[in-house]
Amino acid sequence: MAFVFETALNLLGFVVGLALGIFSYIGFKNTGSPTLFRLNIAFFSIGIGFGVVGFGYMVESFILNYAQLDSWIQTLGIGIQTIGYFFIAFSHGIKSFFPKSRYFKSIIFPLFIIPGNSIEHIIRSISFILLVYGTIETIMSYMENRKRSTIFVAAGLGLLALGEFLGWYSIIFPKSILYFVSLSTKIIGLGALFIPISQVPLRGGLKLGGNI
Amino acid sequence: MSIIGDILSTTRDEAPDESGASVTYLIRKANVSYGRLAKILETLVQQGLLEQTTSDRACKYRISSRGRDFLQAYRGFREFADSFGLRI
Repeated sequence: MAFVFETALNLLGFVVGLALGIFSYIGFKNTGSPTLFRLNIAFFSIGIGFGVVGFGYMVESFILNYAQLDSWIQTLGIGIQTIGYFFIAFSHGIKSFFPKSRYFKSIIFPLFIIPGNSIEHIIRSISFILLVYGTIETIMSYMENRKRSTIFVAAGLGLLALGEFLGWYSIIFPKSILYFVSLSTKIIGLGALFIPISQVPLRGGLKLGGNI
Repeated sequence: MSIIGDILSTTRDEAPDESGASVTYLIRKANVSYGRLAKILETLVQQGLLEQTTSDRACKYRISSRGRDFLQAYRGFREFADSFGLRI
């Protein structure tokens, strides 16, 4: 029963993420704005991440009839979602950095000697940091513009961060209700990001050239 | 992007007369240099967002219907980006 709920929630996340991605894409097509392009990538990644987990589990369970579900599907899905969270944080001005060789080795090599399920938790912690960053930046923006929709977005990102934290925390209590709660919190958070869409008229179809 | 929004808003809402806004007027409103404004205006005319008119031997610019649609979409999506604490 829990499996059905988890799959349904993942598929709901897929639909919500995709809808937000399509909306951002319409915005990008209408205005040519790089910010909306980054949001478009972010929401598509988040939606696809949920979709990979939801559809992956469905295929393994109903088509391949696996008794034990592969954990790499979960890791892959969360990894794709993290890309989305990165683009949200990146839009707020995170400076990307690529460590020089000596440091690069110290960061990358450990990833290959740790067990597979630990990678999932590393990815979750990265997602958590990115989402907390995005939440703080959005709250700072709310302090400036005092827009009600901004506080909904901050709450949405905050709930996504809490969901990732609970998902990461489920390492201590595997097979508990924590994962289900984590997934539900993330879906509610994603839903809160829908609030600003209600304010936008979906008209036009113009795009400016890149030479402006 | 915000400069484009400012230029289109000025030509729609604050043009001094029917023939449109002059380059000098737009420089003052958009707060950009002549060189940069000239490039932006050229692109906006090419894209069909602005119409170039000549009045009293001076070049003036007025918003087109396509420009009005763009401005409406721009304002809507600017609200959306603002909600995320971002600049469009």
